[in-house]
Amino acid sequence: MRIEIDGRKITAADGTTLLGAWLAAGHPLVDHVGCMGQGVCGACRVLVRRAGQDEATTELACVTRAEDGLQAAFLDDTTPHRAHPYHLDPTHDSWDAHGRVTEVFPEAPSCRHCDGCNNACPVDLEVHEGVVAAVAGDLVAAAGRFEDCVMCDLCTTACPEHIAPNHLGLFLRRMTTSLSLRPDDLLRRLHEIERGHMTIDVHASVEERG
Amino acid sequence: MTSAGIPYEHAVEAWRAAAPAPPRSLDVPAADVLAAHHPDHQAHGTTTLRVGANAGDRCPSVLADLLESASLVDDVDIAGTAVADTDVVVVGGGGAGCAAALTAADQGARVLVLNKLRLGDSNTVMAEGGIQAAVAPEDSLQRHFADTVRAGHLAGSRDLVAAMVHDGPDVIRWLIQLGVTFDTVAGDAGEVLMARGRAGGTTVPRILSCRDHTGLEIMRSLREAVALHPGIVVRDHAPVVELLTDTHGRCTGAVVVDLVSNAVQLVRANAVLLTTGGAGRLYVGSFPSSNHYGATADGLVLAYRAGARLVDVDSFQYHPTGLAWPSALVGQLITEAARGAGALLVNGHGERFVDEVAPRDVVAAAMLREMADGRAVERDGQVGLLLDVPSLVADQPEILTDRLVTLAKLAARAGVDPTAEPLMVRPTLHYQNGGVVIDEHGATGVAGLWCAGEVAGGIHGRNRVMGNALLDILAFGRRAGRAAAHAAGERIRRPVGLHHLQQWQRGLVDAGLPLDRRAPLLFPPESNVTPDDVMARCR
Ligand SMILES: Cc1cc2nc3c(=O)[nH]c(=O)nc-3n(C[C@H](O)[C@H](O)[C@H](O)COP(=O)(O)OP(=O)(O)OC[C@H]3O[C@@H](n4cnc5c(N)ncnc54)[C@H](O)[C@@H]3O)c2cc1C
Ligand code: SF4
Ligand code: SF4
Repeated sequence: MRIEIDGRKITAADGTTLLGAWLAAGHPLVDHVGCMGQGVCGACRVLVRRAGQDEATTELACVTRAEDGLQAAFLDDTTPHRAHPYHLDPTHDSWDAHGRVTEVFPEAPSCRHCDGCNNACPVDLEVHEGVVAAVAGDLVAAAGRFEDCVMCDLCTTACPEHIAPNHLGLFLRRMTTSLSLRPDDLLRRLHEIERGHMTIDVHASVEERG
Repeated sequence: MTSAGIPYEHAVEAWRAAAPAPPRSLDVPAADVLAAHHPDHQAHGTTTLRVGANAGDRCPSVLADLLESASLVDDVDIAGTAVADTDVVVVGGGGAGCAAALTAADQGARVLVLNKLRLGDSNTVMAEGGIQAAVAPEDSLQRHFADTVRAGHLAGSRDLVAAMVHDGPDVIRWLIQLGVTFDTVAGDAGEVLMARGRAGGTTVPRILSCRDHTGLEIMRSLREAVALHPGIVVRDHAPVVELLTDTHGRCTGAVVVDLVSNAVQLVRANAVLLTTGGAGRLYVGSFPSSNHYGATADGLVLAYRAGARLVDVDSFQYHPTGLAWPSALVGQLITEAARGAGALLVNGHGERFVDEVAPRDVVAAAMLREMADGRAVERDGQVGLLLDVPSLVADQPEILTDRLVTLAKLAARAGVDPTAEPLMVRPTLHYQNGGVVIDEHGATGVAGLWCAGEVAGGIHGRNRVMGNALLDILAFGRRAGRAAAHAAGERIRRPVGLHHLQQWQRGLVDAGLPLDRRAPLLFPPESNVTPDDVMARCR
């Protein structure tokens, strides 16, 4: 089958991914690549147009399969220039978690519900719903929407309000975990170790199994 | 290497007739199967190193070619090049690099993180099954220690294992403080307990996880924390191609290629920390690999050339369950958590042939034995064994939605319904067991040079248990970061040069080795880019 990537015409074998086809055709690849096949690092962002389709979609080139007539272009990675800095302070007042959302992400309440983020997301997350839930104070539900986020930043690029939805989602996940996850078994073990009640004898005999 | 197997359709019929197949353990001692079938035990494809600190040691030829190669730069390349100063330079921002950078920066050091790809594009983000830490009441540090030493065939350094194991619970607390979440279960009295899975070859369930995308969960938070830290500067698409040294052989910085502006640049630092990860993309033994695109042994090459000693360079981990079909997905990983939860391995006759939760090297060797003896399964020219996920799902209906979410996605991409059809799997090159010799603080034999993560060796001996790599990279990443920041506190500006290369070059000539073979490789064999191509862009 014939495809086109970054203007280069490529004959792709059945079943190959876009990155696989690009490499098999002999083209050099030093960026727009990371995990190479698992679809978890978000480096290989491409704009894709399939034969007979008007709309372009954004996808990950290491998982998208070649299809006859498909056209793709690599999307350069850009660091969002509006940073949303914060520090996860363990002593922070967790009663004010909702207030912190708009403190760190002041643009979030201006969401215009355009679904740009949802359309951009290559792993089909309900990004917009996550943003709405965050603004409403439904923090755990909002954080859950971003469970499978690969931080490709495509929603950040797509958002006309500069909300940086994925960074908002990650902030929620990180904040809720750091403020609330306190497993009892872990606490007990740390206590034992720090009181010197649990040590390791490096000379103890260890038998190799047969 | 593999003889053809039983046609897939027949194998599936045999599987269906017997599923779930009754247990069957190895019919010969594990040591015999390892000796006959584990790639580490085969002389084929290996050579003896002739130069450097490990001269005389066996090493896979593909790695030896890189270790015994000439530098990509010489004095002409660096003459007149501006030098940027920092306290600590971290080479490779995967899990180990980010842990080191955060720890060093928290101690007040100015940190520069240099990445070949982008921050976080690494093996760490791909980790699936989880991380080991002895938190359960019936578990102990001693038990974790013994399990690790035993699985490594007693070859690991006991002091390094103890250091790693000791840090386990504290590493988990640190991750939670950084916002990394873990699966939990309710105890009998309603208390919150960490959910635990079992790793092959261990005596107690100790794997802590976030579904089966633990690495993604960890890497997302580490990367964001690094990016937001005011004391850390991150540069992407900036691989390190050589180390800088002073006349005493002390490491004083790094030579960087900026792939955006196509320029060679120098960085001077009080402490250099290599966290470049593994070597899966060298396809040792012609195995497929589960690793990310940048896993090309660069750190081993750089450290070795600067005089560091390596350990167990001939020992690699072949993960039992890489996908074997379809061809476009060969090598992609299916987490060991699947077998830990009860997924069975069956051959072309529908029979089990090994205890699925035996140590990884034993399971992989047993699979290679089935493949060599014609009892494996063949489909469209690919050979492998069957992973019985359907029986697992029948037993635990929620498992694909609750825990093995990555497996479910991979099966969908393979066009396999994992509730109805087994997946075809085969061993895939997964992990570099050995690496640069370090002490408990990540210090190497070269002054000024620290290593942490998969690039370092001596911890896992000759076989690593699932979940110990993530613990290793974070435990030693933090330790090395702390030590490097401490050393950088002197703030002495040392001269930078390529002093170690003179002796190295002489060694190559004396050993009759070619001078036109250059490394580090930087990009894998399939990249259509050689290291010389990369340098040519800058000239
Ligand atoms: C698919 C998969 C699943 C896994 N699952 C688990 C698991 O469940 N549990 C577990 O404990 N372990 C697991 N492992 C192993 C574990 O993930 C790795 O061993 C570990 O993450 C390595 O961390 P690291 O920081 O040392 O290296 P990496 O995370 O690989 O980071 C190294 C970084 O350095 C960069 N780099 C390389 N060369 C250069 C250079 N010349 N200049 C600059 N930068 C460079 C790389 O591109 C990369 O970004 C898994 C590995 C894989 C591949
Ligand atoms: S939520 Fe945003 S960053 Fe995350 S995967 Fe979707 S588009 Fe990418
Ligand atoms: S793209 Fe931005 S503005 Fe549009 S729905 Fe998503 S978050 Fe709201």
